[in-house]
Amino acid sequence: MRLRIAEITVLSPGIRKFTLEPLAGLLPAAGAGAHLVFDIPGATRVHKNAYSLIGGPQARTQYEIIVRRVEPSRGGSAWLHEHARIGDILEAKTPQNLFPLAHLAKKHLLLSAGIGITPFLAFARVMRTPFEWHHCSRAEDSAAFAALLPPGPQVTLHTSRNTLNLAAVLGTQPLGTHLYVCGPELFNETVQTMARALGWPESKIHTESFASAAGGAPFIVHLARSGQRLEVAADQTLLEAIEAAGIAAPYLCRGGACGACELPLLQGTPEHRDHVLSPEQRAANKSLMVCVSRARTPDLVLDF
Amino acid sequence: MNKSRPIYAPFQFDPSGARHLLVTDQPDPPADLNTNVQTLTARTHTADAILAFLPPHLATQTTGLRLYAIGSEAFVWDVNAIALAAGMGAGEVHLTRAGPLIRRVYCTHCQTMADDVATTITQCPGCGATLEVRDHFSRHHRAFMGVQVDAEAPGEIPAPEGFRS
Amino acid sequence: MDLNLKPAETFRGNFSAQNSEAAIRRFPFPFPDDLYMYSVNMEPHERGGPTAAYDAIFDLDEHYLGECADRAQVLADDPKRCQVMPHLIDAEWDTLELLMESLATDYPAQFTLTRNGDAWHWINRPLALDQRFTFGDAASLPCPPFEYITRQVQGDFTLQDQRDNDLFIEGGMVTSQADWSLNFDAGMSFRQWHGPVPLAHEAGVFDRALAYLLRLQLGKPVRRLNWTLTVNPRLDTSPENYPKWGPDRTTVTPENVGHKLCLRVELQTLTRLPRSNGILFGIRCYLIRLEELVRVEKWARRLHRVLRDLHPDLAAYKGMPRYRPIIVDYLAAFDDGAPTSPGTGPD
Ligand code: FES
Repeated sequence: MRLRIAEITVLSPGIRKFTLEPLAGLLPAAGAGAHLVFDIPGATRVHKNAYSLIGGPQARTQYEIIVRRVEPSRGGSAWLHEHARIGDILEAKTPQNLFPLAHLAKKHLLLSAGIGITPFLAFARVMRTPFEWHHCSRAEDSAAFAALLPPGPQVTLHTSRNTLNLAAVLGTQPLGTHLYVCGPELFNETVQTMARALGWPESKIHTESFASAAGGAPFIVHLARSGQRLEVAADQTLLEAIEAAGIAAPYLCRGGACGACELPLLQGTPEHRDHVLSPEQRAANKSLMVCVSRARTPDLVLDF
Repeated sequence: MNKSRPIYAPFQFDPSGARHLLVTDQPDPPADLNTNVQTLTARTHTADAILAFLPPHLATQTTGLRLYAIGSEAFVWDVNAIALAAGMGAGEVHLTRAGPLIRRVYCTHCQTMADDVATTITQCPGCGATLEVRDHFSRHHRAFMGVQVDAEAPGEIPAPEGFRS
Repeated sequence: MDLNLKPAETFRGNFSAQNSEAAIRRFPFPFPDDLYMYSVNMEPHERGGPTAAYDAIFDLDEHYLGECADRAQVLADDPKRCQVMPHLIDAEWDTLELLMESLATDYPAQFTLTRNGDAWHWINRPLALDQRFTFGDAASLPCPPFEYITRQVQGDFTLQDQRDNDLFIEGGMVTSQADWSLNFDAGMSFRQWHGPVPLAHEAGVFDRALAYLLRLQLGKPVRRLNWTLTVNPRLDTSPENYPKWGPDRTTVTPENVGHKLCLRVELQTLTRLPRSNGILFGIRCYLIRLEELVRVEKWARRLHRVLRDLHPDLAAYKGMPRYRPIIVDYLAAFDDGAPTSPGTGPD
């Protein structure tokens, strides 16, 4: 999917908002909590960065994202801050949602810090049940965040002068409250540890985890029968790499569930990511499901 | 093996909770109960009184509560439904069945509930159909599925059996 | 896409429903091999497949009018066949949007969707509907959005909410089902809902399927086929109405089996919904009389072998015990023992 940068808004020296539009037609609908993965050009390689969409779910004409410049920059955010111009075209994947709202919640409790504000901006537009939102910010960004936060007594902006009393907030929530946490790792861990200590069940604690997204470190695969050597890129599956080389491999579900793509392994240690092989079969390392599994060793050799 | 029939674990205190409430339609709570657990038993309350007490009580409670229900299958699932309505979910409610192996049955044809059914073949109190109690349980209806047993050939009715689980 | 609609036929009473030669050729025959076993037979749902039944995202065929009329009758008799729990309201709109967009794209001669922001205009020519409404405002439609659109599409639909690493069936339009009850199963988790299916739990089929579906992505729907047998082309074989259709099973004879007995195939599609993050499960039912099916020689041979060698537990689950020998005898006459070609399409 190709998106054009329609607008760039400077919210603070380190934070910008980008408005993106489709080249033609409508954008795929995306729910609150969804994110978009972009290909962002870099000096040596293309960066894949994920950003939460902050627009409401009706927004099929525009997507909006907010980007903080990461120091030291890992590439993507620096390019967006320094080089991106209105009219530039970016390649993106269909949005996916790993951070949805719980539909059965009686109340939503949102705790965010820094750029973790972004998914909750989308939440705020669609929540129908009561909510309470605490956002923590560094002093230099607080004006920018204050302008983004919706008005109302249920939203509080915390800075060093007005710190968040976690135990008080987490200890007094009515039954049926769902907790959503989004911020830097330390913030997320602190909140979750406190919540568990106060008796919150796992089913009521939500964090955004990109861990289940596909991809991983690149590796090399050797196909013993044809003598080919293929590189499997970070954002490519082993099956896709084989197909990209023009070789037909068996598959059905492409999601590690059916077992159709199992190929015998001659050498190397796979990182099994399927749901088919038993623990014993995994440990034997005699085969792998090439639609999802990757490598723990730099190379794999397949009997294929 | 059937995956909708509930499997009950014996009662166990859940240390991840901050506060604990145990309700039972049996006279006595489990032995050596942790003293932090507030209990309501059949010695002081009828099952109906417990079920009436719960909704307003849960409405005043905060996250961190664990609710335990021990008793007949119908009772523990009634408690579960009240807990869900109050916003409780996975990991917050623990059910343990006690008492005889009887089932609550939902007639698929007329939607009547029959309580205290003891055998696999039973008469629907609503429409009179002879029902086979399928091993298929709905947590939402809090009952097993009852379907007319002799619909294909009237009068072809297998011998009733007691429930084994 | 070509769509030639027959005048409404009946799927009850005198059972006038028949398949034209073209409908037979496009039938989604479910058996890739001569031996049937449970498997996680899910694959990406993209346009195109072994027959024309796979050409649209939501397939319509010559039976459209008759099936819509049958659904309306089932709902008139039993409104609980369509129910959606209130927390799935976003999924209702997701469904309406997906179905309207898909139908308008795949069948532009029959359906048109025009929108101006939230002001939508929907035209369904076969059913003579012309509806202007506000997307997101249920009061602007004659009935709730999920019911409104699923009354206009062939096949059953259920809505699944995703939470606690599981899927819960919490809504649906179910009027052409193979002996399961939406009203009874509503609220069940994935494994509970599939509880009565024999053998598959032990094979780990549902655990794998669930793990796969929990990661179903937006824009990447998947499909699978399921099958059973039904006496007479009856769409509504519900547990609720078992006393009505159960007796049919005693009426099968060697003389009428070819006409009466139908292979019932479900083309099941699973689609991630954007706003709700739920999953729409489409269960599109196709019925073909054995006498129609045997006109494709490959299918006759293979169905004979599948039913002859089927595990008895599965045969019982599919309601076959009373008439299995009659069917197998009937089909044996069309099986000369020749090998069958790979794949499910006709030769
Ligand atoms: S294609 Fe199904 S497991 Fe790989």
